[in-house]
Amino acid sequence: MKLKPLLLLILLMPFTVFAQSGFVASGRVTGAQNNPLSGATVSVANSNNSTVTDATGNFSIRVSNGARLVISHVGYAPKTVNAAESMNVSLDEENTTLSEVVVTGLATTTRRGNAANAVATISAKQLTGSTRSQTLDAAMQGKVAGVQITSNSGAPGGGFLVRLRGASSLTQSAEPLYIIDGVYMDNSQFGTGAGTNAFTGAARTPTGSQDNSANRIADINPQDIENIEILKGPSAAAIYGTRANAGVILITTKKGRAGKLTVNFGQDVGFAKALKLIGLHKTKWDKQFQFGTELANAARLTTLKSTLNPTDETWDYEKIVYGNTGALRNTRLALSGGTDKIRFYAGGNVMDEQGIQKNTGYSKNSFRLNVDLKPTSFIDIAVGANYINSNSDRSFSGNDNNGVAIGYNLAYLPNWLPQLPVNGVYPKQPLTGQNPLEIVDRTVNNEKVNRMISNYTVGVQLVKNDIHNLRLTSTGGVDFLTAEDEVYIPDDVQFQAASANPGASRYTTNRALNTNLQGFLVYNAHVGNFSFTTSAGLTQLRRDVRLNYFQGQGLKPAQRNPSTGTVQQASETFQGEKELGRVVQEEINWNDIVIATAGVRQDRSTLNGDPKKYFTFPKASLAVNVANFGFWKIPAISQLKLRAAYGETGRSASFNSTFTTLTDLIIGGQAGAGYPTILGNAGIEPERATEFETGVDIGAFSNRLRIEFTVYNKKVKNLIESYNLSTGTGVSSIQVFPVGDLQNKGIELSLGGTPVRSRNVTWNTNINWWRNRSLMTRLIIPEKVVASSGFGSFGTQRLREGASPTAWYGTPNVNGVPTLYEDSQPLWQASWSNSITFLRNFEFSILIHRSHKNFNSTLNQEITDEGGSSPDWSTIDKDNNPLGQSRKLGKPGITTRQFIVDASYTKIREISLYYTVPKTIFGSFANKFESIRVGVSGNNIAMWTPYYGYDPEAANFGNRPTGATVDLLSFPSSKRFFFHFNVNF
Amino acid sequence: MRINTSILVVLAIVGLTACKKQFYDEDVLVDPNGASVESVLNNATRGQISQLAVGVQSSMRNGILSYYRETGTVGREIIYSASTESRYFNELLGTQAAQYNGMNDPAGIMNTYYLNYSSLRRRAEILIRSANNTTALTDQEKAATRGFAKTMQAYSVWVLVNMQGKNGIRETFSDLSAPGDLLKPGKFGTYESGLALAKTLVNEANADLAAGGTEFPFTMTSGYTGFTTVPDFKKFNRAIAARIFLYQKDWAGVLAALNESFLSLTGPLQTGPVMTFSTTTNDQVNPLYHVPNSSGAPFVAFNEFITDAEPGDTRVFGPSAKVAQRTSPRTSGAVTSTHDVTLYASNTSSISIIRNEELILMYAEAKIQSNQFADAIVALDRIRTAYGLRPLAVAKPTILANKNGLIDEVLNQRRYSLFFEGQRWFDVLRYGKKSILPLQGTIGANTFVVFDNFARPDAEVQWDKLNP
Repeated sequence: MKLKPLLLLILLMPFTVFAQSGFVASGRVTGAQNNPLSGATVSVANSNNSTVTDATGNFSIRVSNGARLVISHVGYAPKTVNAAESMNVSLDEENTTLSEVVVTGLATTTRRGNAANAVATISAKQLTGSTRSQTLDAAMQGKVAGVQITSNSGAPGGGFLVRLRGASSLTQSAEPLYIIDGVYMDNSQFGTGAGTNAFTGAARTPTGSQDNSANRIADINPQDIENIEILKGPSAAAIYGTRANAGVILITTKKGRAGKLTVNFGQDVGFAKALKLIGLHKTKWDKQFQFGTELANAARLTTLKSTLNPTDETWDYEKIVYGNTGALRNTRLALSGGTDKIRFYAGGNVMDEQGIQKNTGYSKNSFRLNVDLKPTSFIDIAVGANYINSNSDRSFSGNDNNGVAIGYNLAYLPNWLPQLPVNGVYPKQPLTGQNPLEIVDRTVNNEKVNRMISNYTVGVQLVKNDIHNLRLTSTGGVDFLTAEDEVYIPDDVQFQAASANPGASRYTTNRALNTNLQGFLVYNAHVGNFSFTTSAGLTQLRRDVRLNYFQGQGLKPAQRNPSTGTVQQASETFQGEKELGRVVQEEINWNDIVIATAGVRQDRSTLNGDPKKYFTFPKASLAVNVANFGFWKIPAISQLKLRAAYGETGRSASFNSTFTTLTDLIIGGQAGAGYPTILGNAGIEPERATEFETGVDIGAFSNRLRIEFTVYNKKVKNLIESYNLSTGTGVSSIQVFPVGDLQNKGIELSLGGTPVRSRNVTWNTNINWWRNRSLMTRLIIPEKVVASSGFGSFGTQRLREGASPTAWYGTPNVNGVPTLYEDSQPLWQASWSNSITFLRNFEFSILIHRSHKNFNSTLNQEITDEGGSSPDWSTIDKDNNPLGQSRKLGKPGITTRQFIVDASYTKIREISLYYTVPKTIFGSFANKFESIRVGVSGNNIAMWTPYYGYDPEAANFGNRPTGATVDLLSFPSSKRFFFHFNVNF
Repeated sequence: MRINTSILVVLAIVGLTACKKQFYDEDVLVDPNGASVESVLNNATRGQISQLAVGVQSSMRNGILSYYRETGTVGREIIYSASTESRYFNELLGTQAAQYNGMNDPAGIMNTYYLNYSSLRRRAEILIRSANNTTALTDQEKAATRGFAKTMQAYSVWVLVNMQGKNGIRETFSDLSAPGDLLKPGKFGTYESGLALAKTLVNEANADLAAGGTEFPFTMTSGYTGFTTVPDFKKFNRAIAARIFLYQKDWAGVLAALNESFLSLTGPLQTGPVMTFSTTTNDQVNPLYHVPNSSGAPFVAFNEFITDAEPGDTRVFGPSAKVAQRTSPRTSGAVTSTHDVTLYASNTSSISIIRNEELILMYAEAKIQSNQFADAIVALDRIRTAYGLRPLAVAKPTILANKNGLIDEVLNQRRYSLFFEGQRWFDVLRYGKKSILPLQGTIGANTFVVFDNFARPDAEVQWDKLNP
């Protein structure tokens, strides 16, 4: 294998160097308002020869006679001009550029105009230019066609489900692979234990699947990001092999620019309010006193009312808990500068955001340093280091079996029951559960993350001339993080006091070390109108994880230390993996008209049954720029690209699934062991996704109208899922098994343009529309309920051949066959973004996002009906029963239909207005700074939905490909408003 | 330039070669978190055999919450009043039976006992296989081990077959440790054939124990105090046998088994092995315990348990009662309860597996069915007087010679003596007396149904659909 790339190189070597006569072309590149553009790329067409403009926009480059220069810069439309000894080029601004480079290999890139895939990019401006989302995944919401991003709950600190082109896996996390500057990021959702027996008891497993924790991409500071590139499916991501089944999100952080030192200081202040409250405690209780609720009969309610609250005073507890205003602030300072030899970017960010519930919030401090070195003409070195410290307080929400979660406690709380603390003492909730205010004020559910991400890239130009270019690059990355969790409930909190060992605390340390290393040889050759890019390389990925916790129950009074507990529990879990890959890729470009690429990746992994076996993932793609042909005679259409791509990716089973380990069974201090109920599969191989994607890109009227249309067919073969055995054998399942095939078909349409471009007003607009449908095309195991996909009669998801794995099922069970309901995947999604600059200095932007006909399994109505707090509880139905009683589970005629509900929504994701302050008004101070910009913005400020609950985006079971959208009064999401101040020096 | 390049290429190649071994080394090939199953299947050490046997003793506790809680509610004894999970007082009371062919949700949360007891059965089988496949044990010790393990299997089969009723259970799994065996589970039998299997197992165990010498080659945990030797454990085996024969209506068999068990008409009622619980790290606590007056998820009694009781019954009234009045009643859907279940004093209290009290009641029942009423009355009076009730001759003279009356009396004593111990619902089914249970039929806007059996779990139904 090692020899093959070399062989390839030798075969391509015979092209010799021609000496050519020429001259030096020099000039200046300018952008909007005739400002000089630094960092613009000036390259000689069909050659390796290129340079970059300096701080004043000037360049000079040696060219041959008759050469043409391609001038490009991110954010501007590229131009091709004839080279001249003295020249001035001005570039026009553009929203989506054809000139920006997109990744097509592990060490190679191509111009977007030549890409054969619908590679979505999000620029810094699109990501953070408008408002401040709390986390990176939130900042991407609604911005890209084909990408479904939903918030698991509104709890501060993140927790988002990102699904690219439907589910690619069923058991594994749905999350795509994130790579930041070449570092493979850990995006785990670590368990905190908040959902375990000692706390909410939502899940009975040692580390709960229902802890409602955040996934760790939340740590990344969106403000450091220069751009994000999304490889949505295997056809684009094939070269990433066995980690890329759910797509790849490539993040590039900001780099220093040579020239003058620039300093950017920004300050945002704002506030957050609940986006929507249900109005639980505005409920009238007349009928409840007459009929009684599910949890208290009429007599009991009447007695309590007369003894505890003889007046007619009521309290809006929902508002007391969730109606607070959270203060938001965000300060950042970025420095950038350097020389030809060394350039740097340093960015620091301090963010502190309070939640809408008291004692909740999220704060993050991060610092990044990126240094680019060019010690000699043929060596490039880039190093980056990022330290992040984050702290989130999320309280308790969502599913619960102990009476802890705030949502349940609010739902069960009559508004006439006094619950406010009196001299620090919280009145007991006499009916059921727990005084929610005590949970708000006295419990802890905290996660602190310290994380260090570092990367390096070394590029060595081994050969460089007009025709040949051979480069050796080596990239490495380290992502080290510790997430330390504390969950604590004092011994005298009502529900703890009523437990056998009151007082519970659990301290968890999750440590993860991810390292990656790759080496590549890239060879470019230009022969006539053809250019060839050949690359070959090796990669290695490692992951080493240690999860441990110590829990104490029955704590000494007022003690938090779990070692004071009379009942102690401890656990230590190790995980590790190592993966090796080898890659070869060839790209052939004929004059930017026909671009063909083929490549293959082979991977082996210790996660597979056979750790030494290589699995092969091929890819091939073709792009044809029809408008670049000589015969093209329609000047209005400057780009017409037809493209098609095919690729395969894989995903190994998660760690531990190859092992069949004896279960520990302790009794009375004696160590026992027994046969496990879940078996490993020592022969498991990766699941494999194949995708064919094709589409057309059109640019018309000087790119003022852009259309991108893509269809894809993604098939996941030998899908890894647990194989449910006959439980009568005493074994419930084989943990991982190739159970069948899944198909995802979808359409993505993107329509962008600049409808207005005048002296005073420029209006850029973009509409995205996309849909995805999933289908189990083959299933060789018995039909099964997807684990953790819901709650029995409230709706669960099933794997059934010929049906969607994300559809809901429930009662009635006709002859033992559950009834099929709607799908949790939206029928379609759409987003509409607009940016309008007017009166020279103003910029207004808005992003609206709709998710259409996605269905949730919701218990919101049921829970609030049981508690008597739903706003329409007392409305009388035709049989003279209150609705709050007659629509409950178990009442005649009530089936799962009641709980599978339309969760469509339209949200204003982002809205902003900025004003660049004219320097003239500062008089003599004007030369002290470069520019000042102020603005106001909002994030998720409005929502339209028929949904009963806080937010239709809720997902109780976290980041799961299926069964995620189950809602049990999850933490309400918030609308956020900001004032921004920004100054450049 | 040219020289630099060459040097770099050479350095790169040398560097890559040097790193090659490290680059390709496998990091993780053995499970860092536990022992493999294979390690105990062949030539296990005595320590490993002991570990498996302790594991069986520990596993026996796993299904108890699901089994007692679910049957307790179906048998209208108790309600698990988890306000955040109304299915415990909704689905179990049969309000959704119309949607589920008259039973519970086959894919719902009420089926965990099924895997728990099936895995107990399997774990016991693995113990047998490991014991048979090792040279570390003598033949006598192997027989003792088999006797222990098969007794546990008989117990788990008895639970499963009664929970599943007419559905029957999978009776054979040909060779549990053979590759591929898991994919060929046996077919479902009938209720009767399931009980017959339990009988076979318990009798085989008895024979093995008889050949098993005196000492087990493994640790018997503290719950078996008094039953730790092979001959003493054999008495426990016969007690379980009596229970199985009772369900087969083999009255003579019951009496014969009881005769070899630890039955004592005069001895303490509480004698018998128990499941122990502790707060030791990673042990289990008693899952049926809750703090009185809890507002979280308490176990509360059906009021009929109190209102139907004979006055003075100390199982219901007074300081040692199994229930205690709550400071405020607890509503769980259609049921409002005035009393908490207080069977267990703490979360480390033991749960009885089978005790003399039940043996006496089985003795009484078998005697009545054998028309030996006088013996039965002695046994029934032993129970009655122990709990502050007057003897039958005084309290209920009309039933002394009335077989049906005496059966009702024995069922009633079982209702109070074995309260919330997984037997009430089985008893009314055994005698076809489902109608005596409260809360049935249409009441107000609700319809309640007492199940005949639990639904066959969805995983089993789907398995058979694909593997007919």
